[in-house]
This record gives sequence, C-alpha cells and structure tokens, in this order.
Amino acid sequence: MAELTQNEKRLLATLEKEMSAEAPRLAGLLGATPEAVVQWAQLAQEKGLATADRVVAREFIYTDEGKAYLEKGLPETQLLRFIQPGAVVADLQKHEAFRIGFGQLRKKGLVKVEGSSVAKTPGSSTDADENALKTPSPDDPRTKELIRRGILQESETVRYLIAITPEGLALARKGFDLRADTGTLTRDQIISGEWKKLNLRRYDVTKLPKKTFPGKIHPYQRIIGEMREILLEMGFEELYGGIVQQSYWNFDALFQPQDHPAREMQDTFYLRETLPLPDGYEKVKAMHECGGDTSSTGWGGVWKEEKAEQCVLRTHTTSVSIQHLAMNPNPPVKAFCIGRVYRRETIDPTHLAEFEQLEGVVMDEGVTFGNLLGILREFYHRMGFEGVRFKPSYYPYTEPSLDAEVYIEGIGWIEMGGAGIFREEVTAPLGINYPVLAWGLGVSRIAMLRLGLKDLRYLHRSDVEFLRKTPALRHTRGGI
Amino acid sequence: MAVITLPFRYLERLTRTDKKTILDKIAFIGSDVERVGEDHADVEFFPDRPDLFSPEGVARAMRGYLGIETGLPSYKVKPSGIQFTVDPALADIRPVLGAAVIRGVSFDDESIQSIMSLQESLHWAVGRGRSKVAIGIHDLDAVRPPFHYIASPRTRKFVPLDYTEEMTMDEILEKHPKGRDYAKIVQDFPLFPLIVDRDDHVLSFPPIINGERTRVTIDTKNILLDTTGTDRRAVGVAVNIICTAMAEAGATIESIGIGGVETPTLAPSVRTVSVSECSRLLGVVLTAATMAELLRKMRFGAETEGADRIMVQVPCYRADIMHDWDLFEDVAIAFGYDKLQDLPPKTYTVGKPHPVQVNAALVREIFCGLGYLEVMPFTLTSEEILYRNMQRLEHPGVLRVMHPISIENTVVRTDLLPLLLEFLNLNRHRELPQRLFTVGDVVDSCLTYQQAAGVSTHPEADFSEAYAVADAVFNEISVDYSAKESADPAFIEGRRADIIAAGKKIGVFGEIHPAVLNAFELEHPVAAFEFDLRAVPGYPGTPGTP
Repeated sequence: MAELTQNEKRLLATLEKEMSAEAPRLAGLLGATPEAVVQWAQLAQEKGLATADRVVAREFIYTDEGKAYLEKGLPETQLLRFIQPGAVVADLQKHEAFRIGFGQLRKKGLVKVEGSSVAKTPGSSTDADENALKTPSPDDPRTKELIRRGILQESETVRYLIAITPEGLALARKGFDLRADTGTLTRDQIISGEWKKLNLRRYDVTKLPKKTFPGKIHPYQRIIGEMREILLEMGFEELYGGIVQQSYWNFDALFQPQDHPAREMQDTFYLRETLPLPDGYEKVKAMHECGGDTSSTGWGGVWKEEKAEQCVLRTHTTSVSIQHLAMNPNPPVKAFCIGRVYRRETIDPTHLAEFEQLEGVVMDEGVTFGNLLGILREFYHRMGFEGVRFKPSYYPYTEPSLDAEVYIEGIGWIEMGGAGIFREEVTAPLGINYPVLAWGLGVSRIAMLRLGLKDLRYLHRSDVEFLRKTPALRHTRGGI
Repeated sequence: MAVITLPFRYLERLTRTDKKTILDKIAFIGSDVERVGEDHADVEFFPDRPDLFSPEGVARAMRGYLGIETGLPSYKVKPSGIQFTVDPALADIRPVLGAAVIRGVSFDDESIQSIMSLQESLHWAVGRGRSKVAIGIHDLDAVRPPFHYIASPRTRKFVPLDYTEEMTMDEILEKHPKGRDYAKIVQDFPLFPLIVDRDDHVLSFPPIINGERTRVTIDTKNILLDTTGTDRRAVGVAVNIICTAMAEAGATIESIGIGGVETPTLAPSVRTVSVSECSRLLGVVLTAATMAELLRKMRFGAETEGADRIMVQVPCYRADIMHDWDLFEDVAIAFGYDKLQDLPPKTYTVGKPHPVQVNAALVREIFCGLGYLEVMPFTLTSEEILYRNMQRLEHPGVLRVMHPISIENTVVRTDLLPLLLEFLNLNRHRELPQRLFTVGDVVDSCLTYQQAAGVSTHPEADFSEAYAVADAVFNEISVDYSAKESADPAFIEGRRADIIAAGKKIGVFGEIHPAVLNAFELEHPVAAFEFDLRAVPGYPGTPGTP
C-alpha cells in the first residue's frame, strides 16, 4: 500500500471516533477547509481506507411569479374557477389571469371553445399542477414544465459524506504516528541533531515530479560532431573558411566553365561585392581557355576576369578545401571541412537554400581511386552503415567520379555522397602536383533519416519541445 | 539532369539483347534508373554524356559494355554536293554554323518525339539554353539548295512553326511562345540570324524558331540539320551526336560544304595515353592489352603501342573526353568500381581540430552547463528581423544577396541575437523558462567569423541574470572583460551593458527592450547576451596566438 500522508492519518484518526460525518464537520475538527478534507478523504478512498460519497441535493426555489401563484393559484386555476356556465371569451378577457391562463387551459384541454362561448370540459381540474407547484419533485414532468415556465428554479448542492471503512478502522485502531512530518531538512535540523526526532515525509517514488530539462547540444550538431570526430580519428585536419567566396575559388579554380548552368543567377546567390583575383590566376585562365600545359583541351572560349571576381555565398565547401590545397601543395594533406553552403533553391520540406556539407580531401604521392573508395567505405562503416557501394557519376571538377550509396534496412540503397579525383585541370594551375581524392556529402540527409524528420526546416526552426525530447544518446542501428 | 525515355522494344532491337540484361547493367555505365514502366524506362544520364541522351546512343554504349559489339563505331559520310553559305555580318551575332543531310529516315510519331527530345536535351546540356548552340531539323524536300545563313533585317516576314500567318521576326519575339522564351539571346542585335534556301524561302530563325514550310512529319524522308551557335566545338558536338544517333537508327549521313569545308566528317580524334599513369590513378595494375580491351568495351578504338602506350580513337560524339583522365574513368567503369581494391591510403597522419571549432565546442559546453539549449537558426534572414524589430541601425557590413528567393531571406546574418528572439517567438506556446543559445558564423562585409548568443525568458528574467551568465561564460573562457553602460536600443536603458575586452567592444548583454519584445510578439522579459568569439584566446588571428 502506498504511504499515507500526515493528513490522511489525521483524518482516519478522527474518523475512528466519528465513523462517518460530513466534510464541514470534519473540517472543523481538523482545522482545515472542507475542500482539503475531501481531498484527503479521496486519497484514503484510493487506498480503500475511507469512502467519500458525493451527495447531490436538489432544491426548488420559487420565483417571484411562483410565490404569487402559490398564494393565488396558477393562472389556469384562477381562470378555471372564474368560468361560469354560458361564459363568453370577452368575459374572461377581463380576468387578470387570462393572458397566461387561457392558453394553458386550452393546451391542457380543460376548456372547450365554440365560437365566442367557453365551457369547462367535464371533470376539468388543475389539482395535479397545483400539487406539483406545492410539492415539486425532480422526476415529475409537471415540475419540469413549471421550471420551463419560469415559475420554479432548480438548484443543486453537493455535500460529501465521509466514512471510514472496516480496513480503515482496523488500521486506525493500531494507532498512527501523528507527529507533524518534515519536508525539506533545514540546516539547523541537520547540525543540531534534531533530525533524529523528526518524522521525514515519505515520497511516492512512482509519482514523477515536475519535469526539468537539461541544457543540451542540438541533435543536428551532435551528428555533425560525430562525423567530425570520425574524421579526426581517421587523421584528417579540420578546416574552417568563409561563407562568402569569390567565384574564382568557388567555381573557376575548380574548372567549372564560366557558362556552366550551376553558375547562373537562378542557382547561386550572388553578391554585389567583388574581390581582386589572387596571384597566378592567369594559369587558371589558360587552363579554361586551352588546357594550359596539360593533356587537356580546356573549355575553349574566353575566360573573363570580372566573372571570377564576383563574390557568391559558397555553393560548396570545396571552395575552402581548394584554397587550403593551393596554400599547402606539399604532401600529405588530409583535410575536411563541415560548413554551411548555399544553393538558390525554392525552399520545401526536402530542399533548403542553406545546408551543411561535409567535405574531405586527401592529397598524397601515389594515392589512387581505390584509396578513395577505401576512405569512403571506412567513413561510412564508422557512421554505422554496413553496406556501402559505389557507382559511376559526374562532377565537373573530378575525374574519375563516383557516387556512394549505403544500404538502409527497410529503405534500400540510398545515395549518400559524391566523390572523385580532382581533375588535373584543377590541380595543375594551382601547383598541386599530386592526386587529390575528394568527397562530399550532405549532412542534413543523414540527420533527416536519423531524427526521422519529414521537413528539413525543422533542424533550423526547431520546436523547443522536440529539442527537449530528443535524447542525447540515441540508439542507432545500421547507421540510422 | 536529362531524363531519357527508353522504349524497351526499340532498345532491345538496337542493343540486340533483352531488357533485363540492359536494365541490370545500365547504372554501371553512369545513370540513375528513375522509373521502369510497362513498355519503357525513364533513365537519368549525367550532363557530361549528351551522347547518351537518345535510345540509339544508349544502345551503342550498352552493346559495348555488355560485350555485344566493342571498339570504335564507324560512320560513313558521303558528300551531298549541297553548299551552305555563312554571311560574314553574323560574326558578332551568331557566327558558327554546322549542318548535315540525313537521308532515308523513317519516322513515326514516337521516333519524331524521340529526336525532338534529343534536340531539347542537347539544347539544355550542350547549348546552354540555346545561347551556345541551337539545333534545327527540316524536311529537306520542302526546300532547294544551296542554303544561306544570313544576318537579316528584323522586319523580314515568314510563317513560323505552328502558325498560319506571316509574322516579322520582331513580331515573333513578341508573340510566339518560343520567341518570348528565347528573345533575350538575340534581341539586342540590329540584324537577326536567318536561314533561307535558293528561292529565299525561310527555313529557320535561329535560335528561336523554324519556319512552318520545313516542318518534319511522318512523311519526311530526308532531313536537313542546321546547328548554329557561338562555340565551334559545341556546335560540332551537337551535329555529331544527332548524326550518329540517326545513323544508328539506320539513316545515311551526307556532308554539306560550308565555306569550302565538308562537314561533318564524324571521324574520331586520337589521344595517346600511358598505361602506367592509368594504373597509378586507379590503383590497379593493368597491362596495355587489358586496358585496350577495357577501352574498346567503352566504344573507343584502342591499339597498344608497346607496353605503356595506347593509341585511343575517341568517337566524334564523346564531347566529354578533354583529358587523358577522362579516358581513365572509362577504364575504371569498364573494369567495374566494385572490383577495384578499396583500401585507405597508408600514409600516417594525425587528426587536428580547427581552433575555431574547438572554441565553439567549449562555448557549447559552458552554455549547456548553464542550462541553455542549443538552437541552429538559418544564416539567411531579413533586415526586418536583424534591425527593424531590434530597433537597431543597419550593420554597415551587411551583405544583401542579389536575387533573394523571398523577402525572408534577403541578407546574411550579422548578429545572432535577433534570430534567437525569432526562435522564442516560434516557441511562444512552449513551457517556460526557455533558455536558448547558438554559436555560429556571422558575416561582416566579406569576412566570416563566429559569435555566440544566449537568451533566457521567464517571468523573472532580468538584467542580473544576463550579467551573471555573461560573467560565467567569460570567466570560463578566460576573457578579461569589463561592463560599461551601453546605448544599444535593443535593450532597456539602464539595464544594458557593452562588454569591453582589450579596449574593444566585444559584445552586449542586458534586458531586451519591451518594444523589441512587442515586435517579436513576446510576452515575458528576456535576458540576453551576445559576444564575438574573436575575443576568445586561441581564435585564429588573435594577437599573441599562432
């Protein structure tokens, strides 16, 4: 049995003498409000020690109109008495009760009207109605009719009759410890030793207190953090770079032709700002126009400086990694960057104009396409994805290129990222003389699967309730 | 992305195998099968392979990949004897012309649809929406050679496709749906490109619309192909792709004389590549013979020249082969990505976190310890949120995107605090107290750096709470600061302080101004705090740190 509160004990001890009483009486004896006593009784009732019966008493009150009728009789009664044999309607109209009484009499079929003459029907009587008026009863339809007519009003009073059960009585006879109980211990009670005499209040351990919410890292940030840790473990150096990039680093240095559709205003956020081109940009220009000193043909046409100078919101973090490689052309370089990138997309549940991208690059003497597959397999395995496969793909700045797919139980093969080896057209003009393996993936895609989101916007415009309820440690199986 | 419809019966006939074999392998040459229907499949191909934008091109590649027919496909071209002149006045307008005669076609509604769809895919992938290349296909028997590509007055009249009445070229740009779509390519030129025959009948107004006279129907037997543009290579590729696809379908191709040169030749180009370079790139040991075999599987001509060299003939339709590595990718595809040895590289390296992210992680830890919940708002926002709601002046370094998608995404954030207040607004109906923080990038002019901000809202939130939190954070990250009366209008006067460190303002804290609360429709006081992470020791570029 759940623990009795101090108040329940006091109530039962009182009831041991009273056996049963109404709440106000008990309230007087216990020095509490009747409401509190009822509450204690209900708690004791849950334990089978007392009963708290709700007794509803109905009362009828006469309205002013009702009070008048009680004296004079109902209007129909008054009028009925007034009707003499051979009466005509015009006579009756003189009576003050005519307006209401005549209608009632006709409705009840107590009078017969022929032309202008009015006669009582045989045996006509309003006694039953008068009785209902004098002694109203809740179940009498006539009483209800009087309420409807505004002659009577019904009112309800609720009383509680509280009684002790045999179980309660047995328990009460054993006696209770009626010392006042102590909630929070005070400093004085602890140091003085007073605590030894105290009756410490017991708590119901099955009852949850008011919830408290810890400060927490965002679940999406947690996934980003997990990827970051995996890459640090795999020996990668972390990069951080600007959101605003020159078209030169975002596109041109990556051998993206100046008329490439991805560079159009519909797909990229352009800014009015421009930045001067870095030293050595002529090599990039030559590569675009004729393939520079490599076996490439280049794109042909004329490469325009002013297009390369224009600033954009980076469309990929590759703009950051390519600058890192250009500044650090000596092998080995193993680096990654997780950052926000921007695409001018119409925003809907699965497309945002800004999202996190993860990108990794490996530059070293003798690294191969096979090594790239190996890094990807390792990364996805560490993320929890057992099945990983690769298929040919196309990215403007890598050759060969591939897409990585992972197997997710219940969904199937899902594309998780793209990869490839930077084209020589990208590396040669920047003085990078070793192959560069590069791969990227959309972080939000994994987040969406893991957190079971239907709308990516939820990551950035989150409901606080969702953040509070998403546990820091989630069980993942097969990467999800 | 180009999604190509592949009718099974036609594809099976051209590929000479069953659809299951084709569909099982088609992804391995570089495609995504979008949908498999009753009698056709819709397959997406990458933009670097416009030669795969037709069932004929796909069949040609699949025959090679499946070993049914390997090596270089060769196409015969005989001269048609037809001449096509180019007006020198087009030099600054649309100078490049490519053309061919395609004889013996047999069209039905489906195959007309198929060639129209190839034409549209090429307009997209090679033609950059017709600006770089535009293709016209005509019934050759409706006109008489020679043909002339001229710069014409804009008042020239003819009946455009799908119309019955003559219109001037200016009217076409104004009224014809295609005219309106593509007007921007030509509208600024004084003269317009036009193709006419010996009788001055109009074939086409490139890149806008053909004439009704040369409409292709199921009765068309012979085709005149015109391709105009601004880039010689791209125009050539488009001609080659259409001609070879039609040749695969059974037509014969004839060349046309343009300025004394017979075009097209449909001849391959030649590239000599190194076997060892390919082996090194892919991470697999190949012999010259194996590599040549793999290249032939991808429909290249390949002859070994000693142990390390292969002379490769690149078919004229392979526009994507710009560099030797493009061939190596085809070798890898023929070899099979799944058969490559996938081992991570052996070089020993040490992982190294970036100091900015190390700092950010530390700030996250401290805020969490103070009971704050992390949120990650968007970085694109509006002047209204950043400044107007905050009663603040516009940041002088705010960046506006030139073509925003909506009025809610016009600028890159320069501060984080307004976004947290917006966040509180979104969560007005949620239980209090709410304590939120964010750490992230802001942009000032073209410079990106990190800030952190926190807000606390509940009926007793006040200046002291903001101060205590700011003080706790700065103590934990060893920032020696002082607080000074602030004038920031986002906060209540007398309940706001600037945070000064090393003589510079690095942030602000206090109690948010009720007018700002009204603007964000908030009903309880908010204690808030924001600071610049560049003030944290260890932030790259901070004096005294590496």
